[in-house]
Amino acid sequence: MEHILSLIVFFPLIAMFFGFVISKDSVKTFGIAVALVEFIFSIILWIGFDAGNAGFQFVEYAPLISQFGVNYYLGVDGISLFLVVLSTLMTLVSLISLNIKKDIKNLVLAILFLEMTLVGVFLSLDMILFYIFWELSLIPMLYIIGAWGSGQRIYAAIKFFLYTFAGSALMLVGILYLGYQYYLATGTWSFSIPDWHLLVLPFHTQLWLFGAFFVDFAVKVPMFPFHTWLPYAHGQAPTVGSVLLAAVMLKMGTYAFIRFSLPFFPDASVYFLYPIAVIAIIMVIYAAMVAYAQEDMKQVIAYSSISHMGIIILGTFAMNAEGITGSIFLMLSHGIVSGALFMLVGVIYDRRHTKMIDEFGGLATVMPRYATIFGILMMAAVGLPLTIGFVGEFLSLLGFYAVNPYMAFLAGTGIILGAVYMLVLYKRAFFGKLVKQENKDLKDLDKREFTALIPLVALVIILGVYPKPVLTTIDMSVKKMINLMERKALLPETKELLVRVNKVGGTK
Amino acid sequence: MEKYLYVALFAPLAGALFSLLFTAQKKNVITALVTSGLLLISFVSSLTLMFAVHDGLTLHVKMMGWISAGNLSLPYGFIVDNVSVVMMVTVTLVSAVVNIYSMGYMMHDKSYNRFFTYISMFVFSMLILVMSDNFVGLFIGWEGVGLCSYLLIGFWYEKESASWAGNEAFIMNRVADLGMLMGLFLIYWQFGTFSYDEIFAHVGSVNTGIVTTIGLLLFVGAMGKSAQFPFHTWLADAMEGPTPVSALIHAATMVTAGVYLVIRASDLFSLVPEVGHIIATLGAFVAVFAASMALVHRDLKKIIAYSTLSQLGYMFVAAGLGAYWIALFHLMTHAFFKSLLFLGAGNIMHAMDDELDIKKMGGLFKVMPYTAILMAIASVALCGVYPFAGFFSKDAILASAFNGGNFYIWFTLFIGAGMTAFYSFRLIMLVFFGDKVYKKLGFHPHETYPFVLWALLPLGILSTIAGFFEHPFEEFVTKVLDKYEFSMAHSTEIGLIFLTSAFVIIVIVATIYKYAKGGFSKQLETMPLYLLLKNQYYIPKIYEEVIFKPYYALSKFAWKQIDVRIIDFTVDLIAKTLYKTGQESRKMQSGNLSDMLRWMVVGIVVLLALAIFYRPMM
Repeated sequence: MEHILSLIVFFPLIAMFFGFVISKDSVKTFGIAVALVEFIFSIILWIGFDAGNAGFQFVEYAPLISQFGVNYYLGVDGISLFLVVLSTLMTLVSLISLNIKKDIKNLVLAILFLEMTLVGVFLSLDMILFYIFWELSLIPMLYIIGAWGSGQRIYAAIKFFLYTFAGSALMLVGILYLGYQYYLATGTWSFSIPDWHLLVLPFHTQLWLFGAFFVDFAVKVPMFPFHTWLPYAHGQAPTVGSVLLAAVMLKMGTYAFIRFSLPFFPDASVYFLYPIAVIAIIMVIYAAMVAYAQEDMKQVIAYSSISHMGIIILGTFAMNAEGITGSIFLMLSHGIVSGALFMLVGVIYDRRHTKMIDEFGGLATVMPRYATIFGILMMAAVGLPLTIGFVGEFLSLLGFYAVNPYMAFLAGTGIILGAVYMLVLYKRAFFGKLVKQENKDLKDLDKREFTALIPLVALVIILGVYPKPVLTTIDMSVKKMINLMERKALLPETKELLVRVNKVGGTK
Repeated sequence: MEKYLYVALFAPLAGALFSLLFTAQKKNVITALVTSGLLLISFVSSLTLMFAVHDGLTLHVKMMGWISAGNLSLPYGFIVDNVSVVMMVTVTLVSAVVNIYSMGYMMHDKSYNRFFTYISMFVFSMLILVMSDNFVGLFIGWEGVGLCSYLLIGFWYEKESASWAGNEAFIMNRVADLGMLMGLFLIYWQFGTFSYDEIFAHVGSVNTGIVTTIGLLLFVGAMGKSAQFPFHTWLADAMEGPTPVSALIHAATMVTAGVYLVIRASDLFSLVPEVGHIIATLGAFVAVFAASMALVHRDLKKIIAYSTLSQLGYMFVAAGLGAYWIALFHLMTHAFFKSLLFLGAGNIMHAMDDELDIKKMGGLFKVMPYTAILMAIASVALCGVYPFAGFFSKDAILASAFNGGNFYIWFTLFIGAGMTAFYSFRLIMLVFFGDKVYKKLGFHPHETYPFVLWALLPLGILSTIAGFFEHPFEEFVTKVLDKYEFSMAHSTEIGLIFLTSAFVIIVIVATIYKYAKGGFSKQLETMPLYLLLKNQYYIPKIYEEVIFKPYYALSKFAWKQIDVRIIDFTVDLIAKTLYKTGQESRKMQSGNLSDMLRWMVVGIVVLLALAIFYRPMM
């Protein structure tokens, strides 16, 4: 167990190099096997994880550039643990569901490379290391969209790459400046995240640095108005690309808010709380409306992601354990649910080579199993209790209610608008009479699709009925982080808000 | 006794899971038999629990943890006390009857197995709703019944109108649920818990303003589920679902969940009588508002649906005025006679090949006498004729309105009672008596299967005699609920009862007489008032024009104009500008020596200028 984190990060990379010599016909099996082993590693990590310890565990440390305090530094806590498991699970599932024939080898290897970068992002405890993984993750996704996409795939891929890359450039400046600030404050160089967590920055510096980090994270999440790359990327990406993009890559942004923005800049985070909350509310309502207007199934799911990410942001900026734990759980649930929904759209796209809603109608008659699974996931997407979707949404909104009830109410309209676009989509695609000749002999789900979807459906229900073990593990680390923020806070306003939103019983 | 609790709760779930296995297969009677059996087991367990509760037992179990985050720790907890056990018995009894009835009703449906899965799933959700010991548990059931209602309204999903109605019901309930959710959040940040016991223990020490807000927000949720104005339109459209579903969900059980919520949280509502007053006023309004639409409708099921709506208004009056036990009593008696009425309507639809227009029936008494008798019993019970069940519960509601000095509410309800009598007997007369219109239209009606009629018998008996249990019932539930004291003189009470009964009976007799003579003239149907009622006060139309269409147009606008035209255009513009700048400035690198020298001079000038004028601030 000593080097399990390194193993989890680099196993897919090593396997990828071996993959180059595997024959084209067996490379998918190889990929699944690797992803399965990787998934088992992450489960072992979960089992070995000490749920009573809120700090970083399984820490690995080796100096890289010691003059500048850049180190190989990995660690896992309650906040990142489940995101790692989510990454390995979704990679495995998306590989199982894969049915692209063209250049399959390159695709599988790209996915394995992507897996390494995703896991690396969540496990890095050194800013430079984090930045490397963060940027490297763009390359396989650029390749996946650009090479296996449809329609305007080159435009979409480049837009995705340049947009997120431009944001990152700003963050890099921020990272370097923050490293310099650390040097000024302590006299030694360090880029380690736990060190930076302890660094207290002057308020004005916090504001600038928060801004530099914010732009990058906002593009990644994506937050309104930086979101327009997302519909293109999803629209053109192959199913596997959309699944990994929605399920895991978007979570990098929200994870980064919790890992960096809040504890590095507590005063700036509170200072910008309301503007960010307004953006989040716009995301929830506006994206839900745009989703409702879509004619393409995949775009509905794509915009719905933006809407749900709005709730995650709101939960994060609730600044209390209810909200932040809820938002992390919502990241997991949205990962599973949106990933599964993209896969389901892929299923019908494989059969009909169209995603336009009007091309369907009455699918429940010919594909009852498909309709059932879609229905279950739809209910999870609209946050029905006892599905995975409810827990995170409920906690995030509950948390933010303590900050501002009216804003929580506005964001809460998402539960209505979400039901509107999802139910209308479902009705148009699955209900009604089956009229189109092309749809009359569509095949229901096959074995491959079942294998990929059933675990996700099972998780949707199991984690909806019994989320407690996951929640308590997350909650512990979140409480530690909030505690840190309270200790670091400079301004009395910040302290006051943190105390207010974390206190139950007679808030007014 | 705990095992009875778990059996009562989980037997329906077991039934749902069992029949779920068969959903993809051909019709299989075993699903109906197993689910019926399990519902009966659940009913028997509930009944056992009721006797135990009667002997003084209160069961309170925490099954396992569910959510915990921050200061919140929320387990699955269930409570069986005098209130919840009444609901359990009512729900399981009606659902068992409906399930058995459906074996006949759904006999030829191709989605037979799926139907029984949904019904059992519904019963399970409903039991969670009534048995939970905390507000979030109630919310689980609340959303669960909403889901089942959606699935069952849209059961015949090939029908456009059915799936539309399903969506309408779900979404409209969601709107109200948002209010309820906000109420829950406020509760949490006030009390730090969702558990009934802890909240009601401390509610007295909380600022009245906050309790009022909580009460109003919870009531918004109740309005959605119980289809109170302005959320009422979904209930009439919900009649697209199979008739047993209308009987079970949209008459006897789910729609009363809102009333149950007010009763369950009576410790909270009784602290803020102003909120109660709002509830009662709205209830009285809905009681006549809905009844007025029932007066002119020709659709068999919609008349009964509006009647349900109207009776829910009566229940809210009682609950709002603090007469919680009366509200619960009317809830129970109403469950019996209204589900009977719906199931009778189901028999008629079966006989008439799903025809719903009551003007196309007439004279059916001859062919289906048993159904006619059962429906007549249900109707007199609904109208509140002595000695049928409705007499006791409805009179108690009227008395409580008069007693509190809310004479306008009493008068509204009094008028409502007259309207109820009219539309009920208009329906009976048009369907069962008079000209045999159906013959001309080529229908061949027939009485339904005997086992279906036998299944209805318990409801018929209960509709007849349940009223006599008024005092034992009062004693039973007021162990938990507040007692309601009548302060008016006994003679006034008797006078009121006499007055109402006389009024109702006169209306019934007049209606029978009028329709026996051939009914009203066609000319009335051109009156503006008639059209207003017929078009449901144009409210669905208004919703369509003011909410649905503008929302869609706005959504399109947000996408096509804001997202594509403005935001994305700006993003691309930045990229294009950068690209253009590069393209243009490339010309500088022409390779021409004299050009290069000129640029060099420019560069030197700029650098010199900087050297002279720029002083870094050190």
